[in-house]
Amino acid sequence: MYSYIARRLAFGGITVFGVSIIVFLIMRIMPGDPLTAIFGPEGMTKLTEAQRQSYMEELGLADPLIVQYLSWLWDIAKGELGRSFFRAESVGEMVLRRGPLTAQIAILSVILSWILGIPVAIVSALRPNSLADNTARVISITCLAVPGFWLGMLLVLGLLFGFGYRAPQTAGGLGLFEDPGTVLQIIIGPAFVLALGQAAYIARMARSSLLEVIREDYVRTARAKGLNGRLVVTLHALPNALLPVITLSGILLGFVLAGSIPVERAFGTPGLGYAMFTAVNERDIFVMQNLVFLYAVVFVMLNITVDIIIAWIDPRIRYG
Amino acid sequence: MTAPSETPIVEETGRTGPPPNRVIGGLKHFARRSPLSAFWGCIALLIVAMAVSAPLIAPYPPLKSDFRSMQKAPDETHWFGTDQIGRDTLSRVIHGSRTSLIVAFAAVLLGTTLGSLWGLACGYLGGRFDIVSQRIIEFLQAFPDLILAMAIAMALGSGTVTVIIAIAITRIPFGGRVIRSVVLSLKEMSFVEAARSLGASNMRIMLFHILPQCVAPYLILATTHLGVAIIIEASLGFLGVGIPPPAPTWGNMLADALNAGIVPPWWLVLFPGVAITITVLAFNLLGDGIRDVLDPRLRGSV
Repeated sequence: MYSYIARRLAFGGITVFGVSIIVFLIMRIMPGDPLTAIFGPEGMTKLTEAQRQSYMEELGLADPLIVQYLSWLWDIAKGELGRSFFRAESVGEMVLRRGPLTAQIAILSVILSWILGIPVAIVSALRPNSLADNTARVISITCLAVPGFWLGMLLVLGLLFGFGYRAPQTAGGLGLFEDPGTVLQIIIGPAFVLALGQAAYIARMARSSLLEVIREDYVRTARAKGLNGRLVVTLHALPNALLPVITLSGILLGFVLAGSIPVERAFGTPGLGYAMFTAVNERDIFVMQNLVFLYAVVFVMLNITVDIIIAWIDPRIRYG
Repeated sequence: MTAPSETPIVEETGRTGPPPNRVIGGLKHFARRSPLSAFWGCIALLIVAMAVSAPLIAPYPPLKSDFRSMQKAPDETHWFGTDQIGRDTLSRVIHGSRTSLIVAFAAVLLGTTLGSLWGLACGYLGGRFDIVSQRIIEFLQAFPDLILAMAIAMALGSGTVTVIIAIAITRIPFGGRVIRSVVLSLKEMSFVEAARSLGASNMRIMLFHILPQCVAPYLILATTHLGVAIIIEASLGFLGVGIPPPAPTWGNMLADALNAGIVPPWWLVLFPGVAITITVLAFNLLGDGIRDVLDPRLRGSV
């Protein structure tokens, strides 16, 4: 088990390193002068060449690429993650302030997606190709086609016109346990919207995995000794059928982090996704560089964690 | 992934008769096998037709503001209402289908083609080239699609071509992975050995013997990714890194609605989103149907 974890972590380390190079390259292929973003095209014309030079040096943009890259890595190692062009706080502080809200949204949406997806999968797998199964299929296909951010906008509008309700808009940094009422009101909307798409994937995956497991001998044995069909499915087949669903859920969690960017924008949630939206609009390359890197690292770490959990549950993988 | 077998992957659709009947027969066969996909395939065709003839069927020019009717709710002159500066929402939705489809088709075609060729080279050549390529693909897959697309679109500056490139790059790993594994099983088959024993070069085997066998998985990949591409395009527009305004894209329209004020008018929110949903649904189901018909063994794997 330990050697498996070590191997997975080593590969993860290589991936993170590769990711940092890709992020750095993307942020430096930007055409034009990076200072245009700060001063605007008009402000640029007022800058003298000497001023321009000194700003470039101050921001570290005048150094050779390799020096810039290494100093960025050093910055990451210090946990500072660079500074914003436009704001006083470092990206590290911003992540600490806004990150928890987005993390709570992501986790709640995963929980919701299981609550929504698994029962649907059980109903579908108990009677494949029945009316219930087909209805579930149509609903899940539809859920996959609906853009989450649009559903979020509709939800906000609907609640406002229907019930005169609007979720509180306080600043981030609140923990769920400090002010559960407010935080829950902020995160439940985005989490629900993000959960729908995931639930559709989970229901599909759990259904096909259940149908496969149901054909195995031990399930037939359980049936043969007279257990009722529902019990066989939920107690005997389901635990084994959930393995691929756990893997899928981990991968989806990464996509939820990405999906939360437009969804937080739609709800006006003051989370990390909203910060990303702001950064991309201000063309703040330092914030973008660090946030994109952070998201990718979280995505890689999620995948590793899921792999380790699966290996821990299922010894066939660990020794395979 | 796919179990190797000696039968060609592409299924003969029409049984007998001259070519025109084969096309019709193939379509009939498709409709019989998956009626749902056939129905949504027709919807997809309608959407394509709408995009092609957008200037003819749109009641107003998409960029023309009518300052006498700003932010009007839907009525008989403006079926979908008008936005803050009096542009007709229906016309903008119709024109939006153009941008959406052009970007989605171009991005998927570009990304899947590049990825597939890369996968073909990886699978066939193997060795160090394959190992390095697999690592690079792994790095690219370490980013969630939308974030990678956002970063690239921002770095390159906004524009149609930029958005196409940004989305195409997120599609490359899928082509690389899937086609590589198809090629890995194909290259062990006896027809490749036969070609090699006749003295065919590696290039010749790749292009004339293995490439044709990759057409079915390639088509499946391309069609199943259209829906995702449309959603990414809309999300980029919504986040302000898509095709710059005033271009009428569905994502831009939703962003405009949100920027308009604290409470966006419902018609500005509802219609572009419905357009996205129906289009994505149509292309997803069409893709599913094409996958099931072309290769039942790939079901659920792409």
